[in-house]
Amino acid sequence: MTARCPSDLALERHLLSPERSTLAGHLAACPACAARLETMKRQGEEFLRFVYPATVEAVEAAAERPSLAKAWRRWLLLVPALGGAAALLFFLARPAAPPDDYLGVKGGGPLGLAVFVQEGTTPRLARDGEPVAAGAALRFRIRTARPCHLWLLSLDARGQVSRLYPAQGEGGALVERSADLPGGAVLDGQPGPERLIALCAPAQLGWTSAEQAVRASVGAAGPDAVRHAVTVAGLPAGTAQDSLLLEKRP
Amino acid sequence: MSEHRSKAAELYRTYGPVVYRRCLRILKDPEAAKDATQEVFVKLIRDMSKLEDRETVVPWIYRVATNHCLNQRRNVSRRGDDLDAPPLELAASSGHDTLPDRQLVQGILSRFDATTQTVAVGVLVDGMEQEEVAELLGLSRRTVARKLARFLDLARHHVDRS
Repeated sequence: MTARCPSDLALERHLLSPERSTLAGHLAACPACAARLETMKRQGEEFLRFVYPATVEAVEAAAERPSLAKAWRRWLLLVPALGGAAALLFFLARPAAPPDDYLGVKGGGPLGLAVFVQEGTTPRLARDGEPVAAGAALRFRIRTARPCHLWLLSLDARGQVSRLYPAQGEGGALVERSADLPGGAVLDGQPGPERLIALCAPAQLGWTSAEQAVRASVGAAGPDAVRHAVTVAGLPAGTAQDSLLLEKRP
Repeated sequence: MSEHRSKAAELYRTYGPVVYRRCLRILKDPEAAKDATQEVFVKLIRDMSKLEDRETVVPWIYRVATNHCLNQRRNVSRRGDDLDAPPLELAASSGHDTLPDRQLVQGILSRFDATTQTVAVGVLVDGMEQEEVAELLGLSRRTVARKLARFLDLARHHVDRS
């Protein structure tokens, strides 16, 4: 018998593999731990009855992303993850800076997204709906009128929503002023429309919430949905947004 | 259904209860725990091979869920909704009876990095042995002891000041 009561972690292991557990003796002799174990079992049943049915679809959808991620290596690679000298050279060298006045020109809303495309040696500003090489490299600039928590994501014709920036973390990246975003992205070489969407919320916005809002706003997948999905609904009050469509040409 | 989807559903059925219980323990609210469980598992499922390793999976799940839910609590607190977040209960077996009250512990938690938060919650709230926390976090027992000592020092400093 274990003298000290086992932790929840130890009880979790016991629940998952009772045949390998050494806690049976303690549990038989300790009413408090036996009661705790019963509570944990009841919570597990609660999960299976109420939580699992309501959430399994989102988990399944997320599981498709690893296979997407393989295509993603062709399609979209954030520079910090690349690590390759060539990629670093490309992004860090920034052979030509984006024009400084662009974001002042584009719209007067609280958030502006500028996308710079590099197909040859010189980056250029992409216009909304512009055809670009399907394997072009991209960089991004954000203009914001006030500090906010930014997500930059993309939507393709298959209905896949992909996270571009920030690469890690949950609440979105705090952007306090207009800035070039670190890193960049590389298109995957698959022809079709791709919409780049910037969302900037007054408070931290979970990735899942941002992703779900985009999915819900698009409805059915398909090229037309990507071309027409301009406004993302269902976001917290005060969330600014901007988007830009690219047509990846063969 | 694709192979990935069905495998994910199976793993979620097996390990979802671990995440849910952990989130419930920290967040104290079934609805918040439900949302957090989904968010945590969406993170976990991105590394499916790790979820299939039965030897290491539970500590990993535990660590990710703990970090996520402590962040949730901190965000709630920052938004000023902390009256809605019931306090964490100190474990009777933690052996730190002279600690400041649990509201204060909770307030101090957010001043530390994620690892120290997990150490403090593991030992003081979950009643884990320091060795167990060390294994959970992949740290040495000495590092865990040092982080816990720093946390307790600051907590006591706050008690003295107040």
